[in-house]
Amino acid sequence: MNLGLIHKSLRETLWVTLLCGTAVMVFEAFLAYIFNTFEWDLAEQWLQSDFFQSIIKSLLGTEFNGQIGLGAIGSIAWVHPVLLALLWAHAITICTRVPAGEIDRGTIDVLLSLPVSRWRIYLCETIVWLTGGLLAIAMALLGCKIGHLFISSAEPPEWGRLLMVSANLFLLYSAVGGLALLISSLSDRRGRSVAVVFAVVLVSFFLNFLTQLWEPARSLSFLGVLHYYRPYIILRDGIWPWRDISVLACATVALWTTGGIIFSRRDVCTV
Amino acid sequence: MGTLARVMIHAVTCLFFANRIATIPVARKFLMNVIVAENLTKRYGRHTALRRLNLSVTEGTVFGFLGPNGAGKTTTIRLILALLRPTAGSVALFGKDAWQCGPNLRQELGYLPGDLRLYSWMTLRRCLQIVGQTRGRNLLAAGFELAEALSLEDGVSVRNMSRGMRQKLGLILALVHKPKLLVLDEPTSALDPLMQRWLNRHLRARAADGATVFFSSHTLSEVEELCDRVAIVRAGELVAEESVDTLRQRAGRQVNLRWHEQTQAESIPAPPFLRLDERAGRNWSCMLTGPVSDLIQWAAGKPLDDLIVNPPDLEAVFRNYYEQERDAE
Repeated sequence: MNLGLIHKSLRETLWVTLLCGTAVMVFEAFLAYIFNTFEWDLAEQWLQSDFFQSIIKSLLGTEFNGQIGLGAIGSIAWVHPVLLALLWAHAITICTRVPAGEIDRGTIDVLLSLPVSRWRIYLCETIVWLTGGLLAIAMALLGCKIGHLFISSAEPPEWGRLLMVSANLFLLYSAVGGLALLISSLSDRRGRSVAVVFAVVLVSFFLNFLTQLWEPARSLSFLGVLHYYRPYIILRDGIWPWRDISVLACATVALWTTGGIIFSRRDVCTV
Repeated sequence: MGTLARVMIHAVTCLFFANRIATIPVARKFLMNVIVAENLTKRYGRHTALRRLNLSVTEGTVFGFLGPNGAGKTTTIRLILALLRPTAGSVALFGKDAWQCGPNLRQELGYLPGDLRLYSWMTLRRCLQIVGQTRGRNLLAAGFELAEALSLEDGVSVRNMSRGMRQKLGLILALVHKPKLLVLDEPTSALDPLMQRWLNRHLRARAADGATVFFSSHTLSEVEELCDRVAIVRAGELVAEESVDTLRQRAGRQVNLRWHEQTQAESIPAPPFLRLDERAGRNWSCMLTGPVSDLIQWAAGKPLDDLIVNPPDLEAVFRNYYEQERDAE
């Protein structure tokens, strides 16, 4: 770890993290409030329709068997596309900074002339990225808590289970960030790196939708990153999703390490 | 002569020889080679940017690296800094492989890129704080001292700085930790003549203290004034590596003669050590190809009204090297 590099990276990412964290918190608070206030209206009026059933099923990635309870409604807040988009945008923004972003803005020559190894630069970026991710997810939990503060009659959420969901979400975030670091290590252009990672997560998101709606696509569901993130099941059963967590953790480590090896060995300079 | 005067003469002589000693071949053998490039080659796909470059830069030398655009100067600098990995060959800094030992070696290295770009939000103070933290020492005092010499104010962020101010900030970051090796890619671009002069003096002083300066430039007069040795690259190949004095000797001097009468200018033959380029009325414009003493001896017995011997024209030598490439193309 290098204090100067951490200082620089924090200074450059602080606003993005605060902005993203605040947006996540407000959104989660809003959803917690809405779902708890209007739960039965939603269930009776909207969720009886096949169309909304399909949409919710696709989002949650599991079957309801006609039982739409508070858990199912609450878990939507953790798979909502806005939440995922915010967190993924944060991961992609931070993880494409080095080396692609630095090459793109021409500052890589100055950065690499400092007496630190490329691995150390990579590690410092990783620390800043993961700290930012943790903060953003903690803000999501805080938003959930704030949302419940405004509902006197609401059943209090099970924080232990929400922590499990958060851990799973953090690993999902890490896997996307790991991919962004790998693509960034291969590229000289930040815009190109962002586009590639964004395309991959978008395909993954739609694959998740497709596998719920179209039977033949089910066999491909393991390819999508959302296949390993199922908050409804965690909130329902209260069991740690070890398999999903392990897959996401392994993917993160593999992508991160490959990115680091490429960055440490490749030619890097302003183009 | 008083003792003080003798001491002063001695001191001036010592300073002069300290600066020049690195250019003497025998003395150079005892000094450490700070940069050694051996068969250094860099290819980008099919394009060869640098071909088997062999170079050594001795401790305490101000080394000028010259060449036309696209000759391979920046590629060489990037290989020295381990930003690029050699396709073949190697670069050693202070006797260690630049690619393998990069981070440790960069503790002793100051670098100014040719196309300098800095973080837009940084001010001088923030730059010094962050670079100081990265290098593990407090650089604020030394940095502000340099900033004062370069007339750079604190409190202006990079995004609001002019090109000259950015260049000054880049120079401060390269010089502030008093590195043993300075690698500067066109350092005087965007600097006003006053600052250029300050920089030249500063680099000379650093070299006198034992630091090595490796810099590329297009300004030949600057190279002539500042450098002990010069290397010229052309189309990725080293075409010359010599001391500036040797180049100067080879450069030849422009000589202008004015005869007393036009008939003399037309009838007297030019001696073998003078190449007559132009004859206009009473005037001769020549190039001295032999020793000055021969010219003086010859001129003493001639009916001349005026004789001007110009300084050696190094620019002509460099131009000659550059033009060879254009001719080859």
